[in-house]
Amino acid sequence: MFQGKQAKILMVFICMILGIMLSTQFKSAENAKNSITQQRVEDMAERLKTSEKENSRLNSELKKLHEQSGSAALARQLRNLQAKAGELPMEGPGVKVTLDDSTVVAKPGDNANLYIIHDDDLLRLINELRAAGAEALAVNKERLLDISEIRCAGPTVSVNNNRFSPPYEIIALGNPQTLESSLRLRGGVIETLKFWGITVDVKQSNNLLVPAFKGTRHYDFAKVKEGDSK
Amino acid sequence: MIYPIIGVTLGIIIGLYLPLVPQAYVKLLSVALMAALDSGLGGIRAAKEGCYDNQIFISGFFVNALLAVFLCYCGIRLGIDLYFVAVLAFGLRIFTNIAIIRRLYLKK
Repeated sequence: MFQGKQAKILMVFICMILGIMLSTQFKSAENAKNSITQQRVEDMAERLKTSEKENSRLNSELKKLHEQSGSAALARQLRNLQAKAGELPMEGPGVKVTLDDSTVVAKPGDNANLYIIHDDDLLRLINELRAAGAEALAVNKERLLDISEIRCAGPTVSVNNNRFSPPYEIIALGNPQTLESSLRLRGGVIETLKFWGITVDVKQSNNLLVPAFKGTRHYDFAKVKEGDSK
Repeated sequence: MIYPIIGVTLGIIIGLYLPLVPQAYVKLLSVALMAALDSGLGGIRAAKEGCYDNQIFISGFFVNALLAVFLCYCGIRLGIDLYFVAVLAFGLRIFTNIAIIRRLYLKK
């Protein structure tokens, strides 16, 4: 079939090259299967860029339309409603309450759970602030609305679906005096928390900022009742 | 027939230890692989027909592979999918080669 020894060596050599190509091709095909292709990455980046551009264009259009639309009265009403819906940041006098986990070391046999802040501690505090006439509330810069939840999420507390760990900083706008004294009632929230060694710090201030609600809200189930405007 | 098989297995084992080919060159390598496969089968066919020539085989192997890679590279540069053309052409040739080899085996 082949002539001479040299030919055989060459034959083996060439077949070896063939084999190398086969296996490297196989390997890279396997690799390509497992990794996201460059094309897809570029595609996604491109799509992200276009949607960002679209977003900013629509935003500026919205602003322009807002300016164009209607009279000053309508604009004022819009601003008023936006403020009520929590879509505008608010500032004013109020209190800043800072809560941190207990510094007290739990005694042996004691439930360590008692010495950390829970969602219901925050809820009671915020409820108290609301009862005292707080007009805008925020937990760790997260605006509290009627749809905001404050719930236990493992070692963290989830507010507006964002998770926070201590220290919690609650900002409430309202009459600073009233707000603080509502918290400091005898047998009130702060006294209970202090009992477990949780550090509570209440500071009155004349210039606090509550950020706007960052999320979006949809009405999937609730509908405005027809023919029944206020 | 034993030498080619030894060569291919040796090559596969070496290839498994070689680094990965960059994603950009995978297409070129696949074309070269098709060309090489075609040349290999062509060599077997020639041997069966009794007109095997070592020099023709070796030159054909390298020239075909390099030419295919070059064409494919030009295609990428020019934005023409010559890659598919090369794969198709070599694929057809591989099939005819296999068919002829099969026939030669059966005739014997």
